[in-house]
Amino acid sequence: MFGHRRNKAELETIAGRVCSLLEIPQGHKFRIVDIKGGTGLHRRLLALGFHRGDLIALDGQAPLGGPVLVKNLNSDTRIALGRGIAGKILVEPADEDGR
Amino acid sequence: MDDRIPVIVFIGQPNSGKSTLFNAIAGFRAQTSNFPGTTVCHAHSEVVWKNRVYSIVDLPGTYSLTPQEPQEKVVLTHIFREKPDLIVNVVDASLLCRNLELTVELLELEYPMVVVLNMMDLAEKKGMTIDVEALEKKLGVPVIKTVATRGQGTRELMDRVEEVLARQTAPRHLQYAGEVESRIRKLTEMLPVDFPIIANLRFTAIRAIEAETLAVDRFFLENNPDFKRNLDRIRREISALREAPAYEVLSAERHHLALKIFEGCCRVRHARLSGLEKLDSFIMHPVLGLFLLLLIFAGMFYLIFRVGSPLETWLLKPWEALRLGIQERLGQNLPAQLLVGLVQGVGGGVAIVFPYFIPLLVLMGFLEDIGYLARAGFLMDAFMHRLGLHGKSVPLFILGFGCNVPAIVATRILESRRDRIITALLIPFIPCAARTTIILALVAFMLGPWWALGFYFLNLGVVAVLSSILTRLFKYSSPGLILEIPGLKWPSLKNILQKTYFNLREFVRFAWPILIAGSVVLSLLSFINFDRLVNSVLSPFVSGLLGLPDSLGVTLVFGFLRKELSLLMMFQALGVGYGQLLTVISRTQLLTFVTFVNFFIPCLSTLAIIWKELGRKIALVSVLLNLSVAVLISSLVRVAFSIF
Repeated sequence: MFGHRRNKAELETIAGRVCSLLEIPQGHKFRIVDIKGGTGLHRRLLALGFHRGDLIALDGQAPLGGPVLVKNLNSDTRIALGRGIAGKILVEPADEDGR
Repeated sequence: MDDRIPVIVFIGQPNSGKSTLFNAIAGFRAQTSNFPGTTVCHAHSEVVWKNRVYSIVDLPGTYSLTPQEPQEKVVLTHIFREKPDLIVNVVDASLLCRNLELTVELLELEYPMVVVLNMMDLAEKKGMTIDVEALEKKLGVPVIKTVATRGQGTRELMDRVEEVLARQTAPRHLQYAGEVESRIRKLTEMLPVDFPIIANLRFTAIRAIEAETLAVDRFFLENNPDFKRNLDRIRREISALREAPAYEVLSAERHHLALKIFEGCCRVRHARLSGLEKLDSFIMHPVLGLFLLLLIFAGMFYLIFRVGSPLETWLLKPWEALRLGIQERLGQNLPAQLLVGLVQGVGGGVAIVFPYFIPLLVLMGFLEDIGYLARAGFLMDAFMHRLGLHGKSVPLFILGFGCNVPAIVATRILESRRDRIITALLIPFIPCAARTTIILALVAFMLGPWWALGFYFLNLGVVAVLSSILTRLFKYSSPGLILEIPGLKWPSLKNILQKTYFNLREFVRFAWPILIAGSVVLSLLSFINFDRLVNSVLSPFVSGLLGLPDSLGVTLVFGFLRKELSLLMMFQALGVGYGQLLTVISRTQLLTFVTFVNFFIPCLSTLAIIWKELGRKIALVSVLLNLSVAVLISSLVRVAFSIF
């Protein structure tokens, strides 16, 4: 509602390619394709219900280079991820119907 | 069934309302909050239901049975060591899908189990319709709907618990995909005879496969290299099936089972954005949210001052009159002096508890209950990073404003020991409610509210500087933030009052008696002139270094018990009433003294908890750190004021 949303044109430039959570616009559907980084991080995300193949959306951004807020659209949960971690989660755009 | 008391454990993901449900059944025993990881150690209670005694254990919230965070290890140890008679799996119905992943994992234990769909009201508000019968059929265990905050469904729960215990029916695990299941079965056949079996063979095999990269894995290698080779082969096979590490494959199996069950028995009408969600996007907004955060804390400070300060003056009047009356009537003999000490101790407590402590605790309880603390952590993470810590520490510091002791206990939620130590060393510098009271009472009352506010910011500045120094000393890159942001909730008055009662009880039980006893003892000491001895011993320090009257030396002794005691004892030691303080010492002296006392040592209970949680060495470091900071800052204050 109050969030900053990038416009459609910006979204199109990244359509069809894999990028990290730090590069995606707010409010659009993406699918997790890979989680880079150590097993500790990987296990933690799995425990929190964030798996490869899940649909997610960026839901917010803390000030001054703070963490990003990620919503899992499959399970309707939200987690805050530090930018270092967010950069290790790779996503690709999903169609609006979630295919 | 035998006469042994059945043990029932409550297990659920963080924020599923486990503790609230536990309290609804067991009475006021466990703390609740809307911040993941409140129950760091478990609460335990014996409950009588229909003439039978049950032993109920509330375990910390855990996302899965693969332990990672310290509080999750508590859960696992408990399940394995003291095999419970029944598991009550508390599920947040509004987050059914993810909560089911733990349920699937718990079913694999094949212990008697009951699933509780808690927070049904929230789920309904989200537009979810859950088919309980279908869910029962899929899971193979009884499912009960509850709203723990209103105590709904607790009777049905206990009835079902009784039923399941009587029938001794254990559920069957759910099936993974065939090719994964066959690998697990293969491993169960390879388990060595002396292998410690947890719950059942299949569960043990799954744990062993998932232990990849965990410490246990090395243990396997050292004890049974043959088995380790087989285990690694099975892992490679499972890994090859999905091109992912074996632990991920198993976790994904449960994820998909949970998703399938969820889709099979829950319909979600597309709900409109609720008022709370709109409010949430405002709270989490990078600019407005931060502004709100500042506003909330400024408002809290202001409110407590505006309400507390006049209330304190009003509350102190009768005690002051009583003190003067006693002195007038009984003169200067020993009983009269002791009575005066008693009156001052009781009155001092009244002046802390009612005007400041209760409002502060209620406000903190409110913020915690609606789920604001996790959001504060999110918003402040960038700042904390600059200080070398991360946002997960923010809620701990905020808790510290209420009382340092629970904040230090809660440092258990931090994964790395380094973060724990630094946070625990910093928390004693956070002015807790009792200390805030004294700062407000003395500084604001004597010098004005702006001085108090300034002092408060000086205090926070010291915390920030110390943090940057400490994090540089213990160099290590802090792991990034991973923190669940639970949904914003309407506050539950019951939860808030319960929490306030908890913290208040600690103060009334522990601190107030010390305050009263201390006050009486000080009267006695001053009657037999013992305080002069203490004062003369401490004189070079108190008057030499800090430029304070010698008579304040003895109050520092009480500061070891609780910091605010030193300040309350000041009146006693200087022999003046509340109103006449500035006739005996100057403003500079007052500020120097408040500064010194505020920092000089963690109070006895804080020190005890640091000792218990992190060891003697860290406790000693904490004392030395506090002492040196106190001396440094208070000398600076003294020098600064003598120049201007």
